[in-house]
Amino acid sequence: MNAIADIYADQGVGSIFLYTHEAHPGENYPHLTSMEQKIKNAHDLRDILGVTRPILIDALNGVCHRTYGSMPNMTWIFNRAGVPIYKSDWSDAASVENALLYFLNVGERRKSREHLAPFHVERLDYRSQDREAFYRGLERSGQKAVDEFRKAFG
Amino acid sequence: MSNDELLTLYNYDEFIPKKFERWMKFDSSPSLGKPAPDFPLWHLDGSETSLSEAWSAHQLTVVEFGSFT
Repeated sequence: MNAIADIYADQGVGSIFLYTHEAHPGENYPHLTSMEQKIKNAHDLRDILGVTRPILIDALNGVCHRTYGSMPNMTWIFNRAGVPIYKSDWSDAASVENALLYFLNVGERRKSREHLAPFHVERLDYRSQDREAFYRGLERSGQKAVDEFRKAFG
Repeated sequence: MSNDELLTLYNYDEFIPKKFERWMKFDSSPSLGKPAPDFPLWHLDGSETSLSEAWSAHQLTVVEFGSFT
């Protein structure tokens, strides 16, 4: 997702990471109890996990995250008017790039004075699933996070 | 639900279905094509901004939701 942000930054595409809550609280990263803790964890997201996009932090009660569906790693794309034009219940760079290319082309079609009308489409996209890498991520939070995920999903 | 109760339930202390599934409501999230709700957000330095400030800065804005864990 960082690479997608870099590639399209000069084409009018902004990218942010919106910090929500700890999906897998563990010994090293327990559940959030304060904004100070949340801000500290967001710094770790930048400094340890290498998120290079601007990170913005939701309120401690997650009002933004909850309103948008509360999925642990979803992605939305908004136009400048604040209208969502893409939403995905999981973040996948290939899916996001595919959408950006489509919407950037819509912009070009508008510039050429093509008359356009919006319509809704549903599509099932597919992402790579690397369970080992996912477990390595859980280990950063702590063994508790690993054990709870195993118990929930095997 | 009181704010204290909301804070505790949203920031759950265990990843067990009865604690995390209650929040996963993507099917009832805002519709595409209609103005989206705006909320205050905070920068890493603690200064306040908003979702609308982010989306109004570019032709398109990609927003990834997530956390360290």
